[in-house]
Amino acid sequence: MLIEIRNLTKTFRKGDETITPLNDVTLDIDRGEFVSLMGPSGTGKSTLLNQIAGIDRPDAGSITVAGTEITHLSRSRLARWRAEHVGYIFQTHNLIPVLTAYENVELPLLLLPFDRSERRRRVQIALEAVDLVDRASHYPRQLSGGQEQRIGIARAIVADPTVVVADEPTGDLDAATSAQILELLQRLNRELDTTLLMVTHDTDAAAIAGRQLQLDHGQILERGQVVPQ
Amino acid sequence: MFKFLPYILKTLWRHRARTLLTFSGAAVSLFVFCFVVSLQQGLDRLTSQSDSTLIVFQANKFCPATSHLQQDYDRIINRLPGVRDVVPIQVFTNNCRASLDVVVFYGVPPQKLRAVRDFELLAGSWSEFENNQDAGVVGQAVAGRRNLKPGDRFSIGEVTVTVAGIFTSENKAEENYIYTHLEFLQRTRGLNLVGTVTQHEVVLDAAADPAQIADKIDERFRGGPVQTDTRTKGTFQAASLADLVDLIGLTHYLGYACLGLMAVLILTTNFMSVQDRIQEHAVLQTIGFGGLQVFSLIMTESVLLSLAGGATGIVAALTVLANSGIAVSAEAVSLALTPSTSLAAIGLELSVAVGVLAGMLPALTAARAEIVPALRSV
Repeated sequence: MLIEIRNLTKTFRKGDETITPLNDVTLDIDRGEFVSLMGPSGTGKSTLLNQIAGIDRPDAGSITVAGTEITHLSRSRLARWRAEHVGYIFQTHNLIPVLTAYENVELPLLLLPFDRSERRRRVQIALEAVDLVDRASHYPRQLSGGQEQRIGIARAIVADPTVVVADEPTGDLDAATSAQILELLQRLNRELDTTLLMVTHDTDAAAIAGRQLQLDHGQILERGQVVPQ
Repeated sequence: MFKFLPYILKTLWRHRARTLLTFSGAAVSLFVFCFVVSLQQGLDRLTSQSDSTLIVFQANKFCPATSHLQQDYDRIINRLPGVRDVVPIQVFTNNCRASLDVVVFYGVPPQKLRAVRDFELLAGSWSEFENNQDAGVVGQAVAGRRNLKPGDRFSIGEVTVTVAGIFTSENKAEENYIYTHLEFLQRTRGLNLVGTVTQHEVVLDAAADPAQIADKIDERFRGGPVQTDTRTKGTFQAASLADLVDLIGLTHYLGYACLGLMAVLILTTNFMSVQDRIQEHAVLQTIGFGGLQVFSLIMTESVLLSLAGGATGIVAALTVLANSGIAVSAEAVSLALTPSTSLAAIGLELSVAVGVLAGMLPALTAARAEIVPALRSV
């Protein structure tokens, strides 16, 4: 199993109230799976995604990705682990505005031991995968929303990460562009065997994933059933 | 960090106005700071001059206009063991008080000038000086300030000399003086100083003990017509500039204040930059940048900004110092403000230090930010 989540709990304090978006969650995701995670707003979908991506820490439980238990890694080792193993697709693209499309895609590779020619080769492949080679020298402000998101996807896959997580990747896009992005994600999963975990509140978007999960009241439900806790 | 240099430079360029203002502030700060340090270095050069030269002055007199020693003291002093040469000097200045544009004439026996000074003529000729009693050789700084060239006639009060040459010297303070014939200065109308001089400059043998010889000279003339006060040249010049020494000490605070202002300016810019980019730094951390790398990015930005602005200020200050010939004078002793490599080195080191100090807190703030809340901030 690529991702093993065991008894994961996360709570927040909001004034006097304690919110528990993740309550003893246990979940396995296999290599090459395309998993969608649905649920109403505020149910903890993004919280779970962020735990798996290693940018947030749980209060209890464990997350093991490709044999590495990440919840106990130090801050610096966790950063290194993210650079090597995680590709993150944001809802709002979050490209660096002062960098060109090429430089944005190259950014994660600068953290890894690749020389310039290897970086160039990988960026080229990633840009071809999202069909934006001709926009390499464009700045984010010169790209459409859909193109920005495709560059964001290229940045997420360029280092060939163990898992790609996408947080509402079509949330900021119109219907036609959303369809293109979803098709692209599907193609990446199918052709590159990328393990994908996508958070969405759009049932149509969720439907393209091979496996659909629902998060409700801190619990994972799969295909209409409560996962045994 | 070299790989991230394009990102750092583009980030600075993104907020050009802010970057330019901070850069300018750093440049102005270092410009002023260099002048302050140059003043101190000029003073240090004057007061740390070799102990192998003594100045014999009239006891209890301070302004050169009031010191009148017998010229023939030189023969008596010359007989003392350890004394290599004695040069009688008549000093005339248009202003005994501290000023930025004092003209100082040093009247010396013409045949001795080249023996006791390391002057190199940039224009004119030594023979022109030696063969004409009203001729003078003019220091490069004075010539620059007064726009003088060989052949020009130049007057201050009753003293009028013909410029025979323009000289340069290793000792930049000397370039603020005009050297004339001793007798010419003594005979100048209104001075009537034949037979007396302002001071004697005593050149000692390398092995001689300056303090012992100074005591011997003062002892020898204790009962003479005019009592003497003999000190090493460095001590004499420090005493002449005593009023300025305190003032120069005070200017140190001005220099430190400039550096403080520069640090606050860069600190403010860094904080604004970090505040603007909370989300961007969180994105960098999400894709794998560690806290140390984010810290280094901001520190590099801060140091680059400080160093670029500081270096510009230093270059501007050195250029002005090299070309303006600025000097502060008091009691006929000039303190030259000159450029130096040590001045540039101190300025660059402090620019880096200010950049590091001003970057530390914003860089720590960015590096320690929690990723998820930062991603949600707008």
